[in-house]
Amino acid sequence: MNQTAAEPLIDIRDLTRVYPAAVPVRALDGLTLAVSEGMFLGVSGSSGSGKSTLLNILGGLDTPTGGSVTVAGRRISDLGPDELALYRRKQVGMVFQSFNLIGAYTALENVALPLLFAGVGRAERNRRAAEALRAVGLEARRTHRPAELSGGEQQRVAIARALINNPKVLLADEPTGNLDTATSAQILQTLADLNAAGLTVIMISHEEPLLRQFAHAVIRLRDGRIVEHETIRTVP
Amino acid sequence: MRLTDHIHQSLSNLWKKKLRTFLTTAGVVIGIGALFSMLAFGKGMQKNITDRFARFDLFRYVVVFGPSEAPRNPRRHRIDRRSPITAPPLDDARLAEIAQIPGVQTVVPEIRFPALIRRNGNERFTLVQALPPEIVTTGLVVFRAGAPYTHDDPNAVIISESLIDDLDFADPQDALGKPLTVATLTVDAGSLLNPLNITGALAGDTLPFAQKEYVFTIVGVAERMDVGMVGPLRSDVFVTPEASRRMKKIALTNIRDLFKSPAAAQSYPAAGIRLTSADKLESVKAVVESWGYRTFALADEIEEIETAFILMDMFLLAIGMIAIVVACLGIVNTMVMATLERYREIGIMKAVGARDSDVRMIFFFESGAIGFLGGLFGVVLGWLTSLFINEIVNAILVSKGVPPTKYFTFPLWLWLASIAFAILVSLVAGLYPAIRAAKTDPIKALRHD
Repeated sequence: MNQTAAEPLIDIRDLTRVYPAAVPVRALDGLTLAVSEGMFLGVSGSSGSGKSTLLNILGGLDTPTGGSVTVAGRRISDLGPDELALYRRKQVGMVFQSFNLIGAYTALENVALPLLFAGVGRAERNRRAAEALRAVGLEARRTHRPAELSGGEQQRVAIARALINNPKVLLADEPTGNLDTATSAQILQTLADLNAAGLTVIMISHEEPLLRQFAHAVIRLRDGRIVEHETIRTVP
Repeated sequence: MRLTDHIHQSLSNLWKKKLRTFLTTAGVVIGIGALFSMLAFGKGMQKNITDRFARFDLFRYVVVFGPSEAPRNPRRHRIDRRSPITAPPLDDARLAEIAQIPGVQTVVPEIRFPALIRRNGNERFTLVQALPPEIVTTGLVVFRAGAPYTHDDPNAVIISESLIDDLDFADPQDALGKPLTVATLTVDAGSLLNPLNITGALAGDTLPFAQKEYVFTIVGVAERMDVGMVGPLRSDVFVTPEASRRMKKIALTNIRDLFKSPAAAQSYPAAGIRLTSADKLESVKAVVESWGYRTFALADEIEEIETAFILMDMFLLAIGMIAIVVACLGIVNTMVMATLERYREIGIMKAVGARDSDVRMIFFFESGAIGFLGGLFGVVLGWLTSLFINEIVNAILVSKGVPPTKYFTFPLWLWLASIAFAILVSLVAGLYPAIRAAKTDPIKALRHD
């Protein structure tokens, strides 16, 4: 199914995720949400509210136990493991609080990793990865390994990696959680710039003031449900 | 992922853990080296024996047995045990008929007689064989020193190198031109004229035998041949038929010969038939056997010989496999460790779009690379070790008079098959770790410290 102009880029309906346990954990409980293309959506909530579960499902890392998720006209909640891998490779980019870079790889190799699995040749991979590093201001650090980079630089490498395949959506899970205030501001500015360029961004953060500064809308989760949906500014 | 990326990725990952990779690969190297050496030894033995058969042209020989000389073990010699021994004596007339069969080049009667050979106070009992020069020159007799005799050389004798030590020669060359006394057994007519001796002989207390000595000159020393049953060589001392005829002797090779009828006494116990080509074997055998004779040909034994070689190969393979199994356990251990150490890395790969099959192939390629490197260096190690062992064995055996031999053979297929086998067993060893890695839950892996 193809997305039409009237449809949101992301359409979440009655999304449920229950983790099996002696007492089953209901991480998401009938969540419904629509995210239009080009939107910067902030997601906040306390620990265990379901923020990361929502992002993992949107990122194709987890599958719901109920409801549906449609991204760019494609119902990802029905995809199999290989199709989900292709979805992760092409449709979404993810940025994590702990950066999740491979320590043994250089910055360039980390950024090029999604292209490796996409079957892109080495020369083309390196060219595009170098370009992505240049876009986040780290071209000079291409041969450095993560341990040789600052936290902010590592997160920018992670952003470059998330963008290397030109995804439709960027998912950021507490991307400033391990960074100082000044660096956090830089990272958020980078995300805002990307959003301004047309990229849809969904970002989780505990710091609501920070979200309000950049997001078009902020939702607050509690016990797997949206308890507050605040529109801050209109999507251009 | 592309094939080149898989190869680069696997080698790169292995290089990051050099010591572990080296130790794991060393296990495969030793295992494959041992396997390669053992199979090379098996193939070497096989080649030595079959080359020996081929060199002596033994596939072109059929032995035909006279009525009293049929092999005692019919099953081993593929002879129908139900067929009665109805053959007439194997005499000169019959040999002439055999020589007329299409496909027969030469028929050589087996003429052997007991004798004592003496030199410098050394004495040894043997059966001297009369062997025509035509057979000596076919290549059947391989000379360590000297040359074949001719019909015009009735005092010439050829000895086997197995007698060199017994007769106190320094080496085969040393024996050439030296005299050799051959003492035959004859009837002592003089003693039978003495009535006292006649009484003793009739009572079986004394035997009316005497020795007659002949002095020969050694003209050749032949390579030791341990396949006497197959071809016409069934002794270690050879003289011309002319020399044999002029020697007074009792030509007994078996105590049963004393019980032969006068007609049978003029016959031969066996004869060697040399064929014009090996493909005449069946047709010649069919004719000879239709006359009631039993035959033996090496070609009939090939299947059993091949079975024996296969069993030997299997035995050597089984020993080599012990080392391979140990190496496999090393690979499993290394790869499981790798999946644990790279747990988070696997999660990251999946998060950026790696499929389960991509992850599986990454670990497969790594174990395959260990197998390839182990196989490559393993065959080189096995080859060098085999050459070293060959040199040591030859150094020991040559000092004992045994000619140097290549005990190991390294056919191309053995090199390639050993490397392929190393890769195969490494892939099998990497199966479980690769599947385990592919099943990694990315969410759990990304949370892992």
